[in-house]
This record gives sequence, structure tokens and C-alpha cells, in this order.
Amino acid sequence: MDRQKTTGAMTDADLAQLLSQVRAGDNDAWGDLYRQYAPAIFRFCRRLLPAREDAEDATTEIFMKVRQKLGTYDSSRPFTAWLYKVASNHCWDTLRRRRIRQDLETGDLDTLPLEHPDPSQLERLQAEHTSKEVRTGLASLPDRARMALVLRYYADMSYEEIADTLGVRRAFVGVLLLRARHQLRDALAEGDPKFQRASAGGG
Amino acid sequence: MTQSNGHFDEMTGLLYLDGQLDAGHASDVEAHVRSCTACRELLHALETEGFWLREALTADEESIPARLIAAPETHAAHWGWWTALGLVGFGAYSIWTGFLQPGLAQASNDGFTQGNFLTVLFFTGTFWKGWDTMRTLMEVMAMGTLAFVGIWLLRRQWQRFTAIAFVMGALALALAIPQPVAAQHVQVQVQDVHTGNPVYTLAAGQEVKGDLRVLADRTQIDGEVDGDLIVGTQYLTVNGHVKGDILGFAQEVRVNGPVDGNVRLWCQAVTLNSTVAKNVMAYSQAIELDSKAKVGGSMTVGTQVAQLNGEVDGDVLAAGEVVDVNGSMGRDISIRAERLNIGPTAEVKGQAKYEGRREAEVSPGAKLASPIAFTYAKRGPNYRQSEYYYHRVWLWGASFLLALAIIFVAPGFFFDVTQACKRVGPAIGFGALFLFATPIAAIIVCLTIVGLSVGIPALLLYAIAVYAAKIFVGAWLGEKLLGASVGIGPAIARVALGLLILRAIGMIPFIGGLAGWVLVPMWGLGAIVLALHRRIAPHATAAVAAAA
Repeated sequence: MDRQKTTGAMTDADLAQLLSQVRAGDNDAWGDLYRQYAPAIFRFCRRLLPAREDAEDATTEIFMKVRQKLGTYDSSRPFTAWLYKVASNHCWDTLRRRRIRQDLETGDLDTLPLEHPDPSQLERLQAEHTSKEVRTGLASLPDRARMALVLRYYADMSYEEIADTLGVRRAFVGVLLLRARHQLRDALAEGDPKFQRASAGGG
Repeated sequence: MTQSNGHFDEMTGLLYLDGQLDAGHASDVEAHVRSCTACRELLHALETEGFWLREALTADEESIPARLIAAPETHAAHWGWWTALGLVGFGAYSIWTGFLQPGLAQASNDGFTQGNFLTVLFFTGTFWKGWDTMRTLMEVMAMGTLAFVGIWLLRRQWQRFTAIAFVMGALALALAIPQPVAAQHVQVQVQDVHTGNPVYTLAAGQEVKGDLRVLADRTQIDGEVDGDLIVGTQYLTVNGHVKGDILGFAQEVRVNGPVDGNVRLWCQAVTLNSTVAKNVMAYSQAIELDSKAKVGGSMTVGTQVAQLNGEVDGDVLAAGEVVDVNGSMGRDISIRAERLNIGPTAEVKGQAKYEGRREAEVSPGAKLASPIAFTYAKRGPNYRQSEYYYHRVWLWGASFLLALAIIFVAPGFFFDVTQACKRVGPAIGFGALFLFATPIAAIIVCLTIVGLSVGIPALLLYAIAVYAAKIFVGAWLGEKLLGASVGIGPAIARVALGLLILRAIGMIPFIGGLAGWVLVPMWGLGAIVLALHRRIAPHATAAVAAAA
């Protein structure tokens, strides 16, 4: 888990000092903090929300919330985890408010293929699609599936944190993640006959 | 979680990789993987997929939008706001003392003596339509303002609910047109409103009770109009009697019949042959007051060539290139022109003031109450006069106010364009292209009738963009000098400083003109084009992708 990726060269001590300055109302410190994290949060929102403008608005709103709620942040825990928690709650609320098609709210292992996927086809799928294509495929996924993948693989959230954000049981997070992976594989393989059924080939 | 064939399933593999299996389960998987190639390959593929997803999601390919570079501010008043507020207050005070008060004094001098200019215009002049109508007009305006404020406050939410916004907007519009007023207007004025007809004639002997409004190519009034005559036309000829005011937008106007009220015109050529009981105000290329004509009030004209051969009882204020005075001027005359000729039949009973490039030619027969007070109008800036600097401050204030408006109304656009200014080469290149090509293209489009509706707005937008160009270049310059501090307050300070420096550069002879009229407009215009392109292009690509 590489949660330090967004903090760049800033050490924990620097961050702690910056946070205490922001709490004390120092505008320059707030600017520094914002500049440090805004790009990562913008990209996070960009992965989750359909339009670029939505991601821009969401980034602004998330930082307004961060500034208001900074008092509630427990400094013994990693700041980025808290930041992503605020951001993911905001994005999830946004998505839920405007959701047109409802995802299945429950599900269990029965809906998943239990046999092995073909590892070689899986690897070929990975080799033949660019990051951009993956992100396009991601955008076509149902909100919750997309949310699960982004929380796990962009924000490095634990299963507990994902369960808490999405309001599901912890045991269900694995199902969500695996189903999301399958949906993404299908989305990428769609229109590409040689990858048909790549996600559920025999093992 | 183990399948009948002895292998474990994909779910178990994922949970194992994510450390979600309990110790017993995990050691079972480990033991199995050591002996089973298929499961080992599956685990490997799943793990690689995880890395692959992480890499795809965290890829940093899209730059952060310019408007997000500034941190959102939640605290109360920043010093920048107070500075801006102070500057706006100062600007408003200057506008009042510098422009409005002298203007009002002038208006009152010109015969608008019943009160201030607005009162005259709205409450006793052409626009006054009685208390009932005015009250509803005020209601409509108040509702319109409220709707505007409401939409402004809710705009972000409404972006999300376009359909609701549309319905609510339509409802607000329906409410904003009160039924009784609409009905009343239709009843009273339906027979007196004429539009769409190429030729409108009010025949001799016919009389229109109330106001007459006409939109036509040619308009001829031979009959009598009891109220005001409000016209938008190409050729207007008035032979009949107008008991109210004439308010006209036209190409050519001839007034041969008596007018009991005021005449206010915006046109190309005006000829007045009759008596106007009140004031005449005209902005026209050529104005002729015939020797038989008589104006009961004052005469205010902005024109290229003015021939004042008739009689004017009030003051005359004329600005133009050539002004000929041959008639009888009852009070003071104030002329600002390249040339002033006072003919042999002329008579000026008040004082005569003239500001121009050469002395007035006064015919020996002319009767002047006092000698002409002549001021030589020097061409080019007069660096010694404080007025010159005062004027520069004014110009700075005007562009700064527009900058404030842009920053508050469209901060994202403002920051995007300022960012685009940093790409100096492309900005100036595109700017050069658009600076010269846009007006040519717009004029070509204007040559067709249908094209007018596109060409004229295009030219207007072009003019605004060229004027606004300096704001963005100023913001860029300010950022170079003050650094890119976060927030709107510092952004305002940067623009203020940048514009001040550009103004100062503009005062340098030759170089200033070149920078102010060519380089800065090119640069800023190019940056606007670049920023707009950036805004539109991603949507276009998305639309194409969606259609495919």
C-alpha cells in the first residue's frame, strides 16, 4: 500500500506542522496543503464521476468540507486515509443522489462464476489494453463497481474502509471487487472476439 | 471455497492476495499452490491484474484544471476583497462626480429642467405609460431580478437537474408576465402596432389615438398622431402632426409636420423642416435644420456635418466635424468640431463657445452677442495636463471593473485564460490570426441578410474579447511580478497591478501604441481562443466517442 504517493516529498512531521497551521487559520498553509493534495483528489474524482466538470466541482467542494471538518481529523491516523474517506463519501453521495439506474443492492457468490478464469487470456487482456482504455472501461461500469475498484486500487483503502464508505458488510467487499473486475474484463473484451469469455474461461 | 476438481476458486484467490483469509484457510491455499501449477498461474494473473488496475487508475495523464489551482476559500473577508470593495467605491464615486453630475447638469441646461435625467426619460418622457403599467413594469423587473438572483444562487444545483431548471424557468417566466397587463396592452395597442409590413402609411385625415409604434422599411405619417411616435424604419417621413414625442431609429428622417413634443433620433441623415415645440436630440451623420424650421427647446446633436439654418430658442450643444450656423440661436451655443462656420444670416443671442482645430470663420454679417470663446483642441496626448493622467486612471478603472466582473462571474474561465497566456508563442500566433480574420469573416457574413444575425453578435463579441484581452495579459504580468498566490484576493491584486503596468507602457509614445493596440490584443485574444478550445475540445471528443 503506497499511500505516500500523493504526499510527495513531505514528511509526516512537515504534514503535522502544516495541519496545525491550517487549524490555526493560516491561509498560506491552507494553500500549501491544497496544492499538495488537490491534483490527487481531482484525479480520484475524475475516475468516479462521469464528467470533468463534475470532478472539478467535487474537488472544490471536498476541500471546503476538509477545511470545515479538519477539527474532527484524528492525527494518530494517516491523513491521506482520512482525506480519501471525505472524498469518497462526497463522491458516493453525489453518485447516489443522481443515480438513474440502480445497482443490485445485494448479491452473493452465486452470481459469480466459480470456475477458474484462463490466466493466459487474462494476461493477454492486460497486455493489449492501455491505461486509457482501462479508464474508459471503468467509466462504463455501474457506480458501485467503479467505486469499489477506485477505492481499492487508487485510494488504497482497506476492506473495512470500503465497506464503511459503501455501506455494505465487510464480507461483501470481496464479492464487489471480484464482480467489478469481471465487469471490467467484459467491458474491455466487448467487441474484441478473441477475448470473448476471457473473464470466465475454463481452468 | 474449493471446487470439486480440487482447485480453489477465483474469490478465494483474491481474498488470499488481499490478506482477507483467516490463517487456516490461507495456509491451505499456500500448500495447494505449491503443488498446483494452474492455481499458481491464476494467483499470479490476479495479482498482476491488481497491479495493472492500480497503474491504470493512478496514471497521471490529465493535468489539473487551471481553476483548481486556487484553493477554495471559506473564511470571511480577505484583504483583497476589501481592496476591491474600496476600488469599486472609489470608481462609483468618480463616475458620479466625473460623468453623471456634469452630464445631469448639461441635461438640465439643455432643457431637461423638470428634474434629473432619468425622471425626465421615464416619468414624463417617452417611456412613461401611466402608473398602472409602470407599477407592473416594476413588478416584472423585480421578479426578473429575483429570478436572476435565485438562478445564480442555485446554478450549481440546477446544473444537476436541467429538466427541473427548465420547467421552473418556464414557470417563472409565465409568472413574470402578469395576465391583466398583457391583455390591457393587446386591447389598447393592437391597432397601433405595425410590424412586418414593408411600407406603412398613415394617410392624411387619419388620426391615431394614443401612441403609434411602427416597424417597417418605409414609414410615412401624413395623418395625426395623438401620442408618441416610436419608429424603427429605414425611411421616415412625417408630414402630419405629432402631438407627443418622436423617438426614431432610422436611416433617413424628414420631419415636415409640426411636433408638439421632443424629437429624439438615432439615424444617418435628418432634415427638420417644421416646428418642434420642445427639444431635439439627434445622433446622425448629417443633420440639417432648415431655415423654415424652429425648435422651441434646446438642440443637442452629435454628427459629422451639422447645418443649423433655422431658429433654436434654447441652448445648442453640437459635436461634429463641420458645423455651419446660419440661423438664429436664442441662447448659448457650445460647439466642439474640426471647423465652425458662422454665416451672414446667423445670430447668436447668448455666449458662443467653440473648441476646434482652427479658428471659426465668422461672416461679417453675422450678429454675435459676444466674441467666440475659442479653445484650440490639440491632437495627441498632452503629457503636461493633469487631465491626461486622470483620464488614464479612468481607463484603468474601466478595465479593472471588467476584470472584477470576469473574476466573479466566471473565475474558471479567467484562470484558464490567464494560464493560456503563459503559452506566449501559440497565444500570439492564434491571436494574430483571429484579430485580423474575425472582422473580415464577420463582415463577409453580414453581407447576407440571414448572416446579419450571426455577423453582428460575432463582431460585438470580438470587440469585447479584444477589449478584455489586456485583462488576461495583465493578470499574467501580475503573476510574473507577485507570484501565483492562491485565492481570488491575490488574483485581483495581480490583475490590478498588471493593468496598471500595461497602462503605464501605453503612455510611452509609439511603443505604447504598438503594445496597446497590437501586441496585447493579439496575445490576450489568442489566449482566449486557446482556453475556449481547451474547454470545447474534450466535450467534442467525448461526443464523438459516444456516437461511435
